[in-house]
Parts: sequence; C-alpha cells; structure tokens
Amino acid sequence: MDEFQEILQDFLVESFELIEQLDQDLVELESRPEDLELLNGIFRVAHTVKGASSFLNFDVLTHLTHHMEDVLNKARHGDLIIDADIMDVILESIDLMKALLVTIRDTSSDAGIDVDECVIRLDRVSNGTAQAATPVAAPVKPAPVVEKAPVKEEPELDYDAMSDDDVEAEIERLLAQRQEEDKAKRAAKIAAGESVPEAPPEPISEEEAVHKAAPTQAPRPVVATPAPSARAKHEDEDAKAAAPASKTSGSVEQTIRVDVKRLDHLMNLIGELVLAKNRLIKINDDVEERYEGEEFLEELNQVVSIVSLVTTDLQIAVMKTRMLPIGKVFNKFPRMIRDLTRELNKKMELEIAGEDTELDKSIVEEIGDPLVHIIRNSCDHGIEMPAVRLAAGKPETGTITLKAYNEGNAIVIQIDDDGKGLDAEMLKNKSLEKGIITEKEADLMTEKEAFALIFKPGFSTAAAVTSVSGRGVGMDVVKTNIEKLNGIIDIESVVGKGTSLKLKIPLTLAIIQALLVGVQEEHYAIPLASVLETVRISKDEIFSVENRSVLRLRDEVLSLVHIGDIFEVERILDSSEHVYVVVLGLGSSKIGLIVDSLVGQEEIVIKSMGDYLAGIDGIAGATIRGDGGVTLIVDVAALMQMAKGVKSTILLEESSSSVKDKSRASDYTVMIVDDSKTDRMIMRKALESLGVTLVEAGDGQEALNILKQGDKNFDAMLIDIEMPRMDGYTLASEIKKYNRYKNLPLIAVTSRTGKSDRMRGVESGMVEYITKPYSADYLSSVVQRNVNFKAEFL
Amino acid sequence: MSDQLKEIIKKQGRKQEVSLSHSDDVVQLVGFIIGEEEYAVPILTIQEIIKPISWTRVPQTPAYILGVFNLRGSVIPLIDLRVKFGLKPKKHNEETRFFVLKQGDDVAGFVIDRLTMALRIKKTDIGAAPDSVAGDDSMIEGVGKQEDRILTILKVNKLLERDF
Repeated sequence: MDEFQEILQDFLVESFELIEQLDQDLVELESRPEDLELLNGIFRVAHTVKGASSFLNFDVLTHLTHHMEDVLNKARHGDLIIDADIMDVILESIDLMKALLVTIRDTSSDAGIDVDECVIRLDRVSNGTAQAATPVAAPVKPAPVVEKAPVKEEPELDYDAMSDDDVEAEIERLLAQRQEEDKAKRAAKIAAGESVPEAPPEPISEEEAVHKAAPTQAPRPVVATPAPSARAKHEDEDAKAAAPASKTSGSVEQTIRVDVKRLDHLMNLIGELVLAKNRLIKINDDVEERYEGEEFLEELNQVVSIVSLVTTDLQIAVMKTRMLPIGKVFNKFPRMIRDLTRELNKKMELEIAGEDTELDKSIVEEIGDPLVHIIRNSCDHGIEMPAVRLAAGKPETGTITLKAYNEGNAIVIQIDDDGKGLDAEMLKNKSLEKGIITEKEADLMTEKEAFALIFKPGFSTAAAVTSVSGRGVGMDVVKTNIEKLNGIIDIESVVGKGTSLKLKIPLTLAIIQALLVGVQEEHYAIPLASVLETVRISKDEIFSVENRSVLRLRDEVLSLVHIGDIFEVERILDSSEHVYVVVLGLGSSKIGLIVDSLVGQEEIVIKSMGDYLAGIDGIAGATIRGDGGVTLIVDVAALMQMAKGVKSTILLEESSSSVKDKSRASDYTVMIVDDSKTDRMIMRKALESLGVTLVEAGDGQEALNILKQGDKNFDAMLIDIEMPRMDGYTLASEIKKYNRYKNLPLIAVTSRTGKSDRMRGVESGMVEYITKPYSADYLSSVVQRNVNFKAEFL
Repeated sequence: MSDQLKEIIKKQGRKQEVSLSHSDDVVQLVGFIIGEEEYAVPILTIQEIIKPISWTRVPQTPAYILGVFNLRGSVIPLIDLRVKFGLKPKKHNEETRFFVLKQGDDVAGFVIDRLTMALRIKKTDIGAAPDSVAGDDSMIEGVGKQEDRILTILKVNKLLERDF
C-alpha cells in the first residue's frame, strides 16, 4: 500500500506540473494550429496521464484522457483542424482532468465526477470533424476505426485477469514508454533550441504510432532500439551545447522536493535566531558603553557582527527556498483571457513579462485571486468592443500587459491595459448615486482618490451584472487581499488611453523590516513597507479642518491622527514643540500618524498573540525586541480605518488636575532627594515641625521611580545636585517632561555655590536654590512659600 | 543499618501504595489568594509560576487584560485576576506571582496576590458550586473543603476563554 501511495504521489506531482504547462500551450496552439511541435507536446501530456492513470486503475480519468488523446491525435495527423469551438471542448476536458486529479489527490479515488458529457462531445468533435474534413472519403468509418481500434485496447486491459508475467510486461512497457517520452521531450527541446533540421520529431511520432499499433506484444524491442541512439544523441548534444544551454537548462538543474512544513519550521527557527541576534546586538551596545576602550571589546564586536551577518544571510537563504516564480500564478491567465475573449466578444491579447520574478510561497498563494479580479476587470471594463476601438483610432485588439519586477525589498506586479481608462468624474457621480460618498467628499477628492473608489465595496460601473463582473465585489476583494499582504496599490489612468495598476508587495511575511516609533513610554512597530516617509514638523503646521487635524505636506493635504488617540495612550509626558509624522500608505490611501519619537529601523519577527488576543483592532501581532520586551506591531489597514473615527485631540491642552483642598498640614507632601543620610535627616528635622508629610529618596533614579508610581501628589521637592546614578539637574529635567509635574516646585539644596551651577539649576527647571549650610528656619520658610502653606496650620 | 534502611524503604513503598490506591479520588490543586479569598486550580493545568516581569500594554482591551509578556520567546497574554473578579487593582509586591496556565493550545498568564500551597483534596470533599453561580457560564468548578478552610476551584478552560 505504501508503495502504491508513493507511486500515486509521484503521479500527482508530475501530472499537475504537466497540466500547468498545458493551459498555456493550448492557448498558444489556437493561434498557431499548424505548430506540430506544440501539438505533440500537448498530446504527450494527455498520453502520459492516460498511461499512468490506467496503470493506477483510475478508470474515469483514463476514460476521459483516452478520448482527449483521440481528438489530439487526429489533430496531430492533420485530420482535424483545431478551431475555437474544438478548443473549447478540449479546454473543458482539461478542466475536468484537473478536477479529477484534485479529487484523486484528496480522496485517492477518481469517483464522483461525471465525464460522460464531455466524452460525448469529444467524440462528436473527433467524428464530426473527421467527417467534415474528409467529405470525399468514402464511408465515415475508416478514419475513426483506424484511429480508435488500437488505442481502445489499452485502457480496457483487465489487469486483474492478467497473469503475473503479463502484468510485469505491461509495467515494463509503461515504464519504457515513459522513458521514451522523456527522451523524446529532451530531443524535442534540443531540436527547438538548436533548430536541428526537422528530423527528430518525425521519427518520434512514427515510433509512437508503431508503439500503439502493437501495444502489448513485444514492446521492448521497439523501445530498445531507438533508446540508445536517442540518449547518445542527447548526451552528445548536451556536451557540445553546454554554452548555448539556455533552452536545455531546465533539465540540468538538480532539485529535491521538500515538505513545506519543514520549510515553515526552518523559517520559525530562523525567526528565533533573528530575535536572538537583535538581543545580542543590544547587549553588545550596552557592554560597549560600559567598558569603553577595553581590548576585548573589539573581539566581541567582531563576533557579533559575524553572527549578525551570517544570520542575515541565512535568513535570506531560507527565504529563497520558499520562493516560487510568479509565473506559477501568471500561467493561468492566458487561458482566462482567451475564455473572456470568447465570452465578451472582444479582441484581447495578454502580454506577460517577468514571470521568473520570485516571491514567497504564501504570497504566491494569496496573490492569485486579486490578479484574477483585476484582469477580469480590465477585460470587462477596460478594453472596449472592437468597433469602438477602431472608431477611436486604436488597434482592434486590446492589449493587457502583466509584468512583475523587483523594486527594493518588494515586488511590483503591474497590470496595464490600453482600454478606455478611468473617468474620475464618472466614478464620483456613480459613488454619489450609490451613496458611497457624500457630495462634500466628492468635491474635495483628488483624481487618485477618485480612482480608488473602484475598491469600495458595492461599487460597480458596469451597467449590467454579467457573469464576468459588475457585482461590485471583486475589486473590494483585491484591496482586502493586498492589504492583508501589507501591499500598496497605485492606480494611474488616462481617459481613452488606458489604466495602469501597480501592486507593491513585500517579499516575505514572517520577518519584516519595521519602523519603531515611540509614544509616551510605549513603543510600536510599523511595517516599513507601509511607511512612505517621515517628517518632523512643528505643532504650528497642524491645521484643524472640521474637527480633524491636517497637515499640508508639499502639494498634498494629509489628514493626521495621533497614535496615542488610537491606542488610548495616557499622556503623562509633556510633548515637545515638534512632533514626528509618519506618512503611511496602504492600498491607495494615505494618512499621517503623529508619534512622539522615532526609535529606529529594525528587523522584526511577527509573532501571534494567541487566540486570546487575536483580532485586536489595530494590532497585527507582536514581536520580541532585543531587550526581551514585547513590542506590538501596528496593523496599518485597521489603523487607517480607526483613524476615521478619532477626533483630533492634538491641539487640546490637558486641563490641569484639580488641586485638592488641603485641610491639614499633613496633606502637604514634600520629597527629599539626597544621597547623604545625614543631610536628609537635617532637612527632615527642619520640616518636621511644620507637620507636612515627608518622603525620602536616596538618588535621582529612586525619586523618579517614586514619582512615576504616582501614589502621592507631591507639593514640592528638595533636591541635592550631586548624587550617584542620576544627579539633580538630570532629575529636574526628567521631571519637567511630565505634564503632571510641570508646576511642581523643585528646590535645589546644594553646596555648589558657583554662578554657573545656579544657572544650570534654573535651566533644568529649579525654582529655588538653597546653598548649604542653611538654617532650619530658612529652609522651612522657602518650603512654605513654595507649597502655599496655609498659615492656620502653623 | 541495612535493616533500618530496608524498613524505611518498605515504609515508603507502603505509603506510595496507599497514595496510589487513593489517587483516583484525590485531586491535586494549587491554592492562591486573590483579595481575601482563596482559590485553586488543578496542578496539571499550571505550566509554571513565575515572579512578575515586565509586560506590554495592549490597547483596545478590557481593563483586566494587562497586556502581553515574553515567556522565553512566546508572547503570552497577562490577565489581572483581581480586576477580573471585580476588585481594585493592586501594586505588585514581593508576593505577587504570574500563574501561567495552559490547556490545549491556549496559554495565558494570570496575576495573583499570593501563593498558598499545593494540596491534595478528596473528591468527596469537593462540593458543587452554589446554585446562584453554577452553570456553563460560571468560572467556578466547585468548592473544596479542607479542615478549617474553603477554597473555590476555578474552571481553567473558562479562565482561558476570551470573553470580550
């Protein structure tokens, strides 16, 4: 059973690969029906699938492919000219074949799909046209009989009834046949590449014909003779043609199939490694700071940079193993265009470029649907009817260009059509009609914003709902899917000339570059792919329009939102005169996000926050930073949505917290910050008599921590200047950063008497400057004055 | 000497037998205090108990979700049981612990005021939750009685269930 599974697996993998190529070949075939090489190739696919499926006892599949083979064989021998109608039937049968293969993959059996109808049609094609093509030929019979008789024998073989020897022989035969086909393919490739005179294809088809005529009897000699020569020839060619190997390169590449799960696991491990690397770099920085000038630092530096370099390389290498050429997705489009051409009665051509461009497997899987919608849209709405095109002086056949290329850390997929283009005014009117936008919004809209209307759910410009489009769902799906990939959509369009759609998608999803921003004491990571630019502006440049903050950035008006308003960040720290604006772009919309500080750019690994916290608005996940802390990753799409509901509070100054009435002397709280216990004691003694509450701190850091906890409301602070860990000046300027303590009187108590010391004190926000030694009364009176001590408590 | 040793080993063996024979109707729990009350969860649902470490606030969540923290490379939600149970939040102190509970793939950390002890309790000593709080929505599995105290046994799957 295991062996069977193995064979089955190989069969499926091979079949799917073959079919992928098939679609494209068939469409090409329609334009060049006389191309024997192409036809042979297609025939061989049907044939191979048939052979293998009969061997594996998939009767339905065998039945279908057998009839396909019939039709194709006729075409190959020139008995049948493939026109669009016949092609429809063939394509339909290939679709069925795909469906069957999928069923086999999922259930290991090919039951459940009805192929009879298609088979009848295939038969009709093969018989009917045979009739039409050779009307003079006497009875209808001969041709089909000749064609069919030998082939029919094959699938009908009853393996159960065969003796072991016969089965053995049959297997031999099938294997030999496969090998021979491979060889033929190779030979054909060489032929195509080197344009060796027409010799090679001819013998092959003959050979196959011979082969078919004598299916079970003595197959070996037939195969055996051509084999060595073919191989010898092939090797010969290979050796000689090493240089111009452009066409043969495919067969030389060595590959190994790996389970995607293993790659995913590898990617996870690399993720961990990247986190560890970030951490190492952080530690290295800390160590560098502390042991500046030490010799071992250089060595440490070297190791850290090697580790970091190798990790990055490793990450890229693993990422590459997950890369697939985008051609995998592109391949299905020629067929789609062809179908649409027939369905819509338009003339269209698809040009594909850059199908070798690679991107992550998970993205390749996600990108297919949006592209289908975009291309269908271009066909249906973009390209005009042939008559209209001619009247407009354009070529009758419309062209849709699909190309992919790399741009920095992203891949760009561009879809151009030379159709009628988007009419901004028309789009606005339609949206007004459907109530998607208001009149006011319509007036303010730029052309680009109007183009972006096509992505609104419920929007459709099609006059009638067709099977192709017009339901107003498709482009909405495009936007959602692209945003899910952190991609950006850019539309350009000229009325009458055409439309160009650019999708810019990051190369990979698991590890991303992020911009780290700070707001108050929190940090957030914004995917760099969505960041267009960052600007530093002064608060005066922010205007308020209809309760929303906006910024004039060059020629654009950018609406602004404060990250703190979106993420409910408490405003403890006083913000400075200047703010940073991170301009975010996603899909086709833009917004300015105000942050307090820009921390830097870092490579981050996206981690999920588990089911418990899944789907939090505005948060895409979390990452672990170099210091071991967790930083949340902003979901830019959701953030833009949330920004619409946020009122501007940027300009609102916080109302000062209501000062509680003091009813007792002990309601006053004063903090004493000094590293000397004796000094603290002296101050305590001086103030105790007032009856105020006293809190002591041994240095600036400790004092700041006490303030941060916010347990007590302090009315004044006595601060020594010279202290370990954090001195008085630093402490004072740190305290002044907090809104809450802006008006807290800070009194310096120090033995430094120089003028410059006093100046520094004032600069850092101290209101009084007491020099040691001082009298207890003096200290007491200064404190009383600064806390507005009520005389009745004395 | 060796006789003594044998004796001890024999005793231990007997003890084990005794505990084994009872293991069916004994539940192992870990007790902890939130506010004034003692609660308990089955010992096997506890992945680990750690001292408080720093966490990151997550916006747009109820007040009882403090945020997320990094537990050896995993990002895990942190829930303050005081707030969840309607008490005022309290500053973390020396006795505060994070209980990391796990069931299936769901993991979360819970802030508790103080650990008490691991204990074995007979199934027969566990009463059903009072009618007023029983039911599928209740977080209470049952009420355990031991000597002079009563502890509320919590449903871990309910604790780990997102309810916002």
